[in-house]
Amino acid sequence: MLDPVILAQILWTGIATSAPYVLMTAAFALTLKVTGLWNFAQAGLMAIAFYTMFFVIDALGLPLVFALLAGVVVTAAASLLIEIYGLQVFRDRGSGSLTFFIFTLILSEFIIYVLTLLFGTEPETLFKSILSPVTIIGNIAVSDWDELAVTTAIIGMAALYVFLTWTREGQFMNAVADNARLAELYGISAKRAWRVTAVVAALFVVAAMYLIGTHGGVVPNSPLELIITAVIGTLLGGIGRVFAASAAAVFLGLLQSFSILIIASRWQNLLLYGVLFAAILLFPRGVRMPRWRLILAGR
Amino acid sequence: MPHTTRRILLGTAAAAGLNLPSIVKAQGKEAIKIGSALPLTGSQAGYGKDFDTSMRMGAKDVNDAGGIAGRPVEIVALDTQAEPQLGINAANRFIGVDKMPMFYVSWSAVVKAVAPIANREKVLAINNGANSPEIATLGDYVYTTFPLADVDITKLAKYMYGPLGKRRAAVLYINNDTGIDAAKIYRDTFTQAGGEVVAFEAYDPKATEFTGMLLKTRAANPDTVHIHGLTADTPQVIAQMRQLGMTQRISSYSAAYNPKLLEQIGPAAEGLIVTSLAPGLNDNKNVQKLLDEWKAAQNRVPNGLPYNQYQYDMVWLTKALYEYLDKKSVAPSGDSLREALLTIKEFDLPMTGKMIIDGHRVNKPVYLLTVDKGAFVPLATLT
Repeated sequence: MLDPVILAQILWTGIATSAPYVLMTAAFALTLKVTGLWNFAQAGLMAIAFYTMFFVIDALGLPLVFALLAGVVVTAAASLLIEIYGLQVFRDRGSGSLTFFIFTLILSEFIIYVLTLLFGTEPETLFKSILSPVTIIGNIAVSDWDELAVTTAIIGMAALYVFLTWTREGQFMNAVADNARLAELYGISAKRAWRVTAVVAALFVVAAMYLIGTHGGVVPNSPLELIITAVIGTLLGGIGRVFAASAAAVFLGLLQSFSILIIASRWQNLLLYGVLFAAILLFPRGVRMPRWRLILAGR
Repeated sequence: MPHTTRRILLGTAAAAGLNLPSIVKAQGKEAIKIGSALPLTGSQAGYGKDFDTSMRMGAKDVNDAGGIAGRPVEIVALDTQAEPQLGINAANRFIGVDKMPMFYVSWSAVVKAVAPIANREKVLAINNGANSPEIATLGDYVYTTFPLADVDITKLAKYMYGPLGKRRAAVLYINNDTGIDAAKIYRDTFTQAGGEVVAFEAYDPKATEFTGMLLKTRAANPDTVHIHGLTADTPQVIAQMRQLGMTQRISSYSAAYNPKLLEQIGPAAEGLIVTSLAPGLNDNKNVQKLLDEWKAAQNRVPNGLPYNQYQYDMVWLTKALYEYLDKKSVAPSGDSLREALLTIKEFDLPMTGKMIIDGHRVNKPVYLLTVDKGAFVPLATLT
């Protein structure tokens, strides 16, 4: 098992399979950063995204591009509706954080229940075939899905960085994340920033669910399990640190993949929960990496 | 999906409708209720709903043939989601509310969960789809009409070692009641035959990524791989196995005898060997009738045809048991129905053929099929 080729294969597959988790963690962490809310309604949005694409492909028989377009429009609309008619209402009422937590969790359960009634509970994939063509590169099997997943995650994260750093909307979101009231004093609309966040998160959710739905079966309840990785990644990365949270999602993927070297495969999923407990108990503010600029400056 | 949903709705309506004229024909007497605990929702619903439809087709045909001792048959199906707790709820409802003296149940974990209730209440619980060998030891009121894993897996493992000449097997199995016992049987049989099990790996029922496990298996260099999973995970394991360049011949069991699997993994399924515990079209002409009924009602073949044959036949088995008691003027109860089952012992059923009850087991021929050019074709019959 310690053959370099095997280790390289585990490394590559671990990176590839963590790609959708990177995207969904980015969505979750970004929402938490800007709105300050642990928005578990994202699980419901993930289910909406998948079943919208599935409906367009399977029932309407339309090409993928229409499915993606429909996924983006419907998920973004649902995300905005939740923001405007759900979360904003609670903010206006001055509701406590527990209210938001319960609302988003119950909303996800409700969405999943409705989707179960509509689509049933059989595992479904976006395309009938889950087989992806494979290329052998240096004795490593690289599937088309792997390449697509990694490319999508890299482009998605790069685009998010550019958006948050270089666009006015992104800068406003950062300002609202730092201090919403202060930002409003400077004429920045917090409501607008929250709504833009809802749309951006929806885009990442659609991308993640496309990758997951082309790799294996999805049932309406799947997003509630998938979102656990996003929660753990956000905890490990630290609240307000979107890119660190996404990196933590890669770490979790690799941890699960490499764990096969020392534990039986049936324990791999349990490992996630172990990390979740450890993150809550030991790193409630996230794992802090050394600040290299300060170290190099001798401070 | 709406295609599927529409088909399901139409199918369910059709299946319900199937019973109406025949029930009307069946003389207005009080119906004999047949309890059936199946996963009608949840990840196993693809099978469970089809099983229910097939059992209702059996009920229709029995009713058309005059019912059971002149009384119509009515199927009472309750959803278990293949979960033990829901199975217990279903058993309690059958016994406590519907006052049924017997009921049918599938999925190993559910059968095990309802067994103590059946034994305590002295109600006959008949497994008609699960295959955990433990089912034979669950008590005085739990019987099986479906061959347990020690029947097909034992014969399959011997076939892989014997006629196919495999010597190094890897066994990959889902870590639940379905996988654990069957995997042990395969391992022990293959080893006793003289082969070596070079990898024996369980995976989490919720897992979707199997690369690590498969690489570990690849490193062990097997010449055949036996996969004992469920419909949701088996295609993914096979697909990822092929993507990692593993070309070994794969064997599985009757759950993999599923047309959806061929759709999902296409060429990766070539050479796959599966078992079937019921005769196919070539062995039993009645099977075409069931397929025709499916074609008419749902315009497709059922998921897991052999399992569906058993479900259909259970109504005929019930007919045989009740009519035996009727002739003897004995009231149906858990005890009397069990007595009838063990006394009649040999049943000639329309879809699955001759069935001999051997205590808490049943022995049947095993039909092997393999995937050739995208279709399941007969490979061998093991008696």
